[in-house]
Amino acid sequence: MSSRRSRSMQSGSSRITEDQITDLVSKLQRLIPEFRNRRSDKVSASKVLQETCNYIRSLQREVGDLSERLSELLGSLETDSDQASIIRSLLM
Amino acid sequence: MTLARDTAMKNPTNSLKRRFSLKFLKTLVRIRKSRPPPSPSASSSWEIRWRAQKIKLAAYSSMALSVGSKRTWSRALTMKLRATMGNRRWSSWKGSKKMTKRRIVAKKNMEKRHLEKDMNSGLQQLRQLVPGGESMDPRSLLEETAHFVRCLETQVRVMRSIVEGFPC
Repeated sequence: MSSRRSRSMQSGSSRITEDQITDLVSKLQRLIPEFRNRRSDKVSASKVLQETCNYIRSLQREVGDLSERLSELLGSLETDSDQASIIRSLLM
Repeated sequence: MTLARDTAMKNPTNSLKRRFSLKFLKTLVRIRKSRPPPSPSASSSWEIRWRAQKIKLAAYSSMALSVGSKRTWSRALTMKLRATMGNRRWSSWKGSKKMTKRRIVAKKNMEKRHLEKDMNSGLQQLRQLVPGGESMDPRSLLEETAHFVRCLETQVRVMRSIVEGFPC
């Protein structure tokens, strides 16, 4: 039995340590464009989580904007035109 | 788990991008053929917004279906979207939000005692943003978030390239 004081949490059958949390948080940090170039020890976990939330929201906004643009573009396609057949050929 | 399968579970791949692109494009073709319900206030800008909403739902559902059932977030999102789109086949599917009282208490204890208190606010927001997040323990939430973010990025990249590739 290790005498190291690892602060562990129990969730049913799985034990999770603070190291694992730190590890996962730094994994997230590497995904966020805001932090990609910074050294991990300079950013707090709570800042990483906050920026992750901001990043997710901005991605979702972008999905909405791109959907609007796609809708406009689709609406401007004439039926059975060359453009429509290009789209169809993309699926072949 | 083999290393290959473990990696595939963790990171979105090029094959995911292809599966998503194909599914999404096919749905776009279907959407283009569809017409909005007739309405006295219908205008072309209203039709554009109506179609944009369908496209947005198609993007999320294509991605969730392409990821399949191996991620909690993709299962949760698929169920949520089916409810939104009113698909009667799935209305009786109860889903996995089986959060027993014991798990709720355990989760709260974890967050109060062992995690930095200032992470709680971030975790709480993530629970709202990541599909199925409400019933995840903190470790799963962080893992699912990482995968979810990468899939969202893939989705945005593909949609952007479709928009840019549009003949005009």
